[in-house]
Amino acid sequence: MSGRMVLRTLAIVALTLLVQVTVILDVRVDGASPEIMFLLPIAAGIAAGPVEGAAVGFVAGLAADLLTATPLGISALVGTLVGFGVGAVSGGVVREVRGLPTLVALSASAVAVMLYAVLGAVLGESQFLHVDLGVVVAVISVTNAVLAGPAVRIMRWALAAPAERSPARGRP
Amino acid sequence: MARAARARRSRRTLTTLLVLVLLSVTIITLDETGRASFLTSGMKSLASDIYSPLRTGVNSVLDPVGRFFAGAVNYGSLQQENQKLQNQIVALEHSRAADASASRQYRQLQRLLAIDKLPSVASIPAIPAEVTAQNVSDFMASISIDKGRDQGVAIGDPVVGPGGLVGEVVTATHSNATVRLLTDGKSKIGVSFGRQQEATLDGEGANRPLQIQYVPSTARVLRGELIVTSGLQGGGLPPGIPVARVTSVRSIVGAADKQVTARPLADLSGLSYVEVLQWTGSS
Repeated sequence: MSGRMVLRTLAIVALTLLVQVTVILDVRVDGASPEIMFLLPIAAGIAAGPVEGAAVGFVAGLAADLLTATPLGISALVGTLVGFGVGAVSGGVVREVRGLPTLVALSASAVAVMLYAVLGAVLGESQFLHVDLGVVVAVISVTNAVLAGPAVRIMRWALAAPAERSPARGRP
Repeated sequence: MARAARARRSRRTLTTLLVLVLLSVTIITLDETGRASFLTSGMKSLASDIYSPLRTGVNSVLDPVGRFFAGAVNYGSLQQENQKLQNQIVALEHSRAADASASRQYRQLQRLLAIDKLPSVASIPAIPAEVTAQNVSDFMASISIDKGRDQGVAIGDPVVGPGGLVGEVVTATHSNATVRLLTDGKSKIGVSFGRQQEATLDGEGANRPLQIQYVPSTARVLRGELIVTSGLQGGGLPPGIPVARVTSVRSIVGAADKQVTARPLADLSGLSYVEVLQWTGSS
């Protein structure tokens, strides 16, 4: 990852977190609110591969953990695993097939939320199992599926190497 | 050659994953064991101090924009005159809604003042605070308030709202704090009811009834009975603060305990103002 890619990714993570704690937090469906921080590693995994997916997942998860009273590092671990998993499974197939990123975001978000709940409960956060997990999974997965298209485009812009963004520049 | 390059890439990919996973596990361990709490709480404090003013700023900008778009979507197709009249109606409705909101806040403040006059609370110094956010995570029933360490808020301080106890402070940064609500699955407080019966009140998640644990099957509990803090459970809460009312009592044949549920006295989903009690255990 080049310095510019890192800066762009950090800016996207910071902006997404701001949107999450302002606009998104007010959106409530049956008591649950969407969680778009999980979408970033998924989009990065689809757009650039497993390494970028894991790295973005770690940074986005850590940033999200910093603003909640839940243990630091759980979202970072979940983000890392989900970003890596999506990148490894999707390869380059998902990028080419129309509509597939939406399905990947839907299922990967559901996995991320369940993994988060289980990890939290294992670490002694008993309240993680005292939520309507079905509703939380549904709200987060559907929202992330809807936003998957734009998110993949944004992460592709952030993680594209300079030569990829302007092919003409490298030509003789 | 290509195979060697692929193997190298694959090794690098796995190394990256391993490093990030180990880093995450280390952070979790440091946070859970409290060995580097100065570092983890410092990071949380810094992030919160950066994001709190941003959150307030964005919210204050978005509110009027949201109203503008709502008006445009709803009345865009009407003729000019109609539009003017409709806009007047909307303005009046907004004003009425604002009045309703103000009167709701006024009622909350009045009920908060009533709590202040209780003998169990009157002697404890209190910090009034405004609620800035509700349930920041789907996995925790909590509120964020606009007062923090600089104003005297400390971790473990009890928080009261209109009607009764709301919860306790679990994190405090320079300028704000997070309060774990009574309904959170991790909340456990010592309570008493009736003729000095002691029990534990457990949260079961947001919007779910509270469970009163360890009520012997021989105990007399009535629906509607008032539950107050007992002051036990490590002395974390002062005794005598109203908490909840019993909503159901069920005796099970052969069981040693009764199944008792309760509802918080404070409306935890619509809090605007609360008070942080600076309780030291001997106040």
